[in-house]
Amino acid sequence: MRPIFRVARATFHEAWRRRFLNGILIFAILIIGSSWAFAYLQPGAELQMVIDIGLGSIRFFGMLIAVFLGTRLVPDEIELRTIHTILAKPVSRAQFLFGKYLGGVGTLAANMLLMGAAFYVVFAIKAPQFLAEKPEDAMIVAAMYSNIAKAILLTFFEVFLILGIAVVAATLFSWVLSVIFTFVFYFVGHMSDFFQQLSDPERGASKIAQIVMGALYRILPHFEIFDIREAILMGTYTPWSVMFKTIGEGVAYLVVVLLIGYLVFNEREV
Amino acid sequence: MKLYRIVGWLLAIAMLFAIHPLDQSLQYDRLVLGLRQPTPWFQIVARASGGDTELAVTGVTGVIVGAALGGFREVAASMLWMKTHEYWHKGHGTQAKALWLMRLVTLLDPHWLEPWRITAWHLAYNLYVETDDPALQAKYLQMGVECLKEGISWNPDRYDLYLELGWTLFDKVKDYEEAPKWFRAAMRYPHPEYVDRLVGHAYERMPDIPRALDAYDYCMKRNPLDQTAVGATLTIRERYLPAWDLAEQGSYDEALDAINEYLLAQPTSSLGLHVKAHIAEQAGQLRLAYDTWSLAGNLSALDFLAQRKAVELAQRLGIPVEETPQHIYMQRTGKEMKAGSPDRDRLSR
Repeated sequence: MRPIFRVARATFHEAWRRRFLNGILIFAILIIGSSWAFAYLQPGAELQMVIDIGLGSIRFFGMLIAVFLGTRLVPDEIELRTIHTILAKPVSRAQFLFGKYLGGVGTLAANMLLMGAAFYVVFAIKAPQFLAEKPEDAMIVAAMYSNIAKAILLTFFEVFLILGIAVVAATLFSWVLSVIFTFVFYFVGHMSDFFQQLSDPERGASKIAQIVMGALYRILPHFEIFDIREAILMGTYTPWSVMFKTIGEGVAYLVVVLLIGYLVFNEREV
Repeated sequence: MKLYRIVGWLLAIAMLFAIHPLDQSLQYDRLVLGLRQPTPWFQIVARASGGDTELAVTGVTGVIVGAALGGFREVAASMLWMKTHEYWHKGHGTQAKALWLMRLVTLLDPHWLEPWRITAWHLAYNLYVETDDPALQAKYLQMGVECLKEGISWNPDRYDLYLELGWTLFDKVKDYEEAPKWFRAAMRYPHPEYVDRLVGHAYERMPDIPRALDAYDYCMKRNPLDQTAVGATLTIRERYLPAWDLAEQGSYDEALDAINEYLLAQPTSSLGLHVKAHIAEQAGQLRLAYDTWSLAGNLSALDFLAQRKAVELAQRLGIPVEETPQHIYMQRTGKEMKAGSPDRDRLSR
């Protein structure tokens, strides 16, 4: 385990020196901080707008950081030839890959925590002001605090999964191709419902198309499961059983992704 | 190929398929708990693509796709809403494309109440006056009502759209039997005080004097300082209750005398005429009822109830008369008012 943590720690420190990541983080915090200014675009639903921009930004910029960080973690080591020095030590390829991923997770978690904290501060300042205008929403707003924390927690696992996909993509393709692949994977993952609908025999697609669409639906990650904004907006309780199931599915998918990454990376010429 | 690779790949594929049952269970939970996205993004895109080409479909679709995938649905809804404002201020507000944009906004963000309210108002009020065809006007009324009912299905725990629907039925359709049901639904949630009084106002105009008094009584119990409810109760008791009570006892001639006495002083009183026409209907004097409803309808262009009742009675009496949108609406929705008093509980006062 020790080699994994050493690689992870080194990756974490190195990642903070990447300027583009800091740029994305600062931009994200600026957007989240100014979300209340956009709130007035939706008269009568200002708080919902703050939540949408805040959580949307955390999700969007978290995804950007995951993609651009994940696709650079391994290729940089190969390009700079530092991977030879590391692998010459008693560090296996699996340990190296997993350590890199864990370092990325640490960096991403720190970034997400900062964004989440910024959003919570904005929400805690603005919610009482909007509540003064609509006191009948008191119960909905009270439920929002815990639901927002749960939504941010689920976003953590969503971006960890994207990071895993990006790391694995980078072991397979060149940098540009792996960035494109990860973005496409993310968008297609959001379209899984679409594949399910197309695989429905009542839609009239050919038998082969039904099988292909059905297989795609089963294979692709379903990123929409990490989205609980409906519960936040409606002020309904999100049970922990659903949270655990969502996290469980995310982690299970991540294990598959990292296993594929290991199988590919283990055979790759570096 | 090395054995560990074969096992590894098989394991990865097996795990992918093993996740499926967990996913199915989770999808079911999300459906039951209402956590799924209100409208799948591809349905919104399909709707957007089928719209007016003048609206630069590609741009609009881009906004929607970006929003649906990136998580900024409310932002996209706001942008489209601003576009509807732009149309409005250009004078294209009453065109179908403005309506199409409004509909997209409600699909993107069904929990934003303003688009439901404005879209329904646009249909029931603005598009309504754009045509002189009663059948088309009735259709717009129906669309407005349906729009609000759909909005309520997305936002059942807030008073706003119940009130809006009640108000549309009260003010535009003049369905005073249906409107109080929606005002009462609004009253189940935190709401402004005037909503309570609207129930009484609806029954007063219907007219159903006992239920109106009961509604005002409720307002006064909730707030003894509610001067509107106090004033309405005094007015009803003084002006209409004597005639109503006589009619309830079956003394229709005396009841008509009593209300005529009031109408001598206030010959254009809409409520007085409504009460008189109602008593005449109960007494079986359909011609008098028709004349009275017609008079009330002619005195006020906005007294759609009187105009509708006049059409109903004219058809029963075989008098040729022009249709009204409200009458067509009631026929289409199967709610044409029956002659006489609606089925209500007899309330003791």
